[in-house]
Amino acid sequence: MRRRWALTLARHAALLAWAAVTLLPIYWMLITSFKHSGEWVTWPPRWFPHEPTLINYVKVLTPGTSTFELGRQTLKILKPLWDSLAVASASSLLAVALGSALAYSWVRFGTGGPRYPYNLLSIRMVPPIVIAVPFVVYYVTLRLLDTYTGLVLVYVATSLPYVIWMMLAFIEEVPVELERAARVMGASRFRVLRSVVLPLVTSGLVVTFLFVFILNWSELLLALALTNTEVTTLPITLNKFQSANEGRDYGPQAAIGTIATLPVVVLGFLIQKHLVKGFSFGMIRK
Amino acid sequence: MAGIRLDRLTKVFGSTRAVGQVSLAIPDGEFVVFVGPSGCGKTTTLNMIAGLETPTSGDIYIGDARVTDWEPRDRNLGMVFQSLALFPHMTVFENIGFPLRIRRLPAEAVAARVQAVAATVRVGHLLGQRPATLSGGEAQRVALARTIVVEPAVFLMDEPLSSLDAKLRVDMRTEIKRLHATLKATFVYVTHDQAEAMTMADRIVVMHGGGIQQEGPPLTIYGNPANRFVAGFFGVPSMNFIDGELSGHAETPVFRAPGLTLGRDAPPQGDASRDPGTPPARRATLGIRPEHVRLSSAGWPAIVSLLEPMGDETLVFLDYGGPASLVAKSDAEIPLTVGDRCHFTFNQERLLFFDERTGERLRRW
Repeated sequence: MRRRWALTLARHAALLAWAAVTLLPIYWMLITSFKHSGEWVTWPPRWFPHEPTLINYVKVLTPGTSTFELGRQTLKILKPLWDSLAVASASSLLAVALGSALAYSWVRFGTGGPRYPYNLLSIRMVPPIVIAVPFVVYYVTLRLLDTYTGLVLVYVATSLPYVIWMMLAFIEEVPVELERAARVMGASRFRVLRSVVLPLVTSGLVVTFLFVFILNWSELLLALALTNTEVTTLPITLNKFQSANEGRDYGPQAAIGTIATLPVVVLGFLIQKHLVKGFSFGMIRK
Repeated sequence: MAGIRLDRLTKVFGSTRAVGQVSLAIPDGEFVVFVGPSGCGKTTTLNMIAGLETPTSGDIYIGDARVTDWEPRDRNLGMVFQSLALFPHMTVFENIGFPLRIRRLPAEAVAARVQAVAATVRVGHLLGQRPATLSGGEAQRVALARTIVVEPAVFLMDEPLSSLDAKLRVDMRTEIKRLHATLKATFVYVTHDQAEAMTMADRIVVMHGGGIQQEGPPLTIYGNPANRFVAGFFGVPSMNFIDGELSGHAETPVFRAPGLTLGRDAPPQGDASRDPGTPPARRATLGIRPEHVRLSSAGWPAIVSLLEPMGDETLVFLDYGGPASLVAKSDAEIPLTVGDRCHFTFNQERLLFFDERTGERLRRW
């Protein structure tokens, strides 16, 4: 009895230590975003800001476009924030809708032949830079460069393999007899999808959406190649803190980082119920 | 009303012929059981009747309509599946009401009908629960309720009892039979369990290798099998088969096998040609059910090699000198022990002969 107690204690201690290691950078980003510039770099480190401030957030969240004064860039992220939200949401929704339809059709009717999902996976087997350049060439011709449509399209294409592979697992979990029973009872194919299949794969859809949303939300390379001034996402904005000067602008940088993390965390909490269900039941292949 | 007629129904999967040229007429209101080992084509046939599989060729008629290419939902069927296929995300109430909601019945009508049907199969107290919380028997009755709620003219059942334990299975057997008597609908029931087939069917259709081996009332199938497969499929323990040589006439068969010669005035084999009325001997298999093997004071000698008491009767395994033991069914209280010597005879009227090669029943030779 006592031994088991000690074991539990040891295990919790180990987990806590590891959690500290992984969460420390996030904590550091969070407190830095609330610090005045004088506290950004100090020794010994300040684990908590003496005078918490919202100045960094105000700086980056005031309306207007980014300016360049006295060799120093002031980054405004309202537009990038909006662009990222719009592009990531639209592309993830579209990818989940198309991909789950495709996965269903493959599982139930073998559409595309037995190797189809593997072929689709090959899109993800090449480094994104390989597809970035051809996309630029096509997009120039198609006038899709630096447009929402263009970025959404390329994100849909790169998300589809993930969606399909995740949804395959969830759809295969739905016994075909349930669909057959519904059809014999008078349901049309669409009714079967709506009343039987969809409710049973909801958790899968939600988990898959979150997964590709995070990917698209944080995607940098393709956005960098395919957008310029009309469309500009958060990762691109963060990426601008790389020159000698802006690189040391830690406060606003941490504020943007925190803002960029927030939607994913909020989404995760909102769909927590599905996450647990989805990861524990859907991903187990027979 | 709604009888079913299958006309040269065939289903080919890739290079496998699951069902070949099956023709069958099921009169309205009959309880028909398709029985056979797994892979015999019985479930595929049922799925084609349901419309869940498209026949490769042939036709299906329900009532007077040719429904071969109709959608399942247009065929006015009820179907109970092996897994029962209760919707896990719906309550029992929603499960039973599902077919009614699809038919766009008003909510009050759905509720009334669901409650009435639930009461008849005694699941009224479970309406608020999810299928996952039900016991095997309860889930079974919910599946039945969901099927009868729309009063279909034809019921299809695909091994609905196979997931239940033995005792419950026997109870549900009676319950389904009673349901059939009440509803007077046509029932097509698929099973691999010969006991289920025997007890429930008005008519049994024995399938094997994608084709119908024999169809008929249970006792005909049991007592008068068309071939060795049917003879061996029904009955527990199964029929005794002895390979040997058959001659003589149907009324006075003469059968020789290692350790066993049967028939009076059996002429020596070479002498058969002397009697012009006696056809030459041919290879054949003798079939005799254990209940028609009698232990007696006279007859063929044998040694008891094994005893299996069943409670109401005892199975006696007899070594008579042939390649396999012969099984006899006897009284439970038989005063025998393993190693005892005894004698046995056959009920002559129950002897069956099958062609050794084709397995077909020999009625004259």
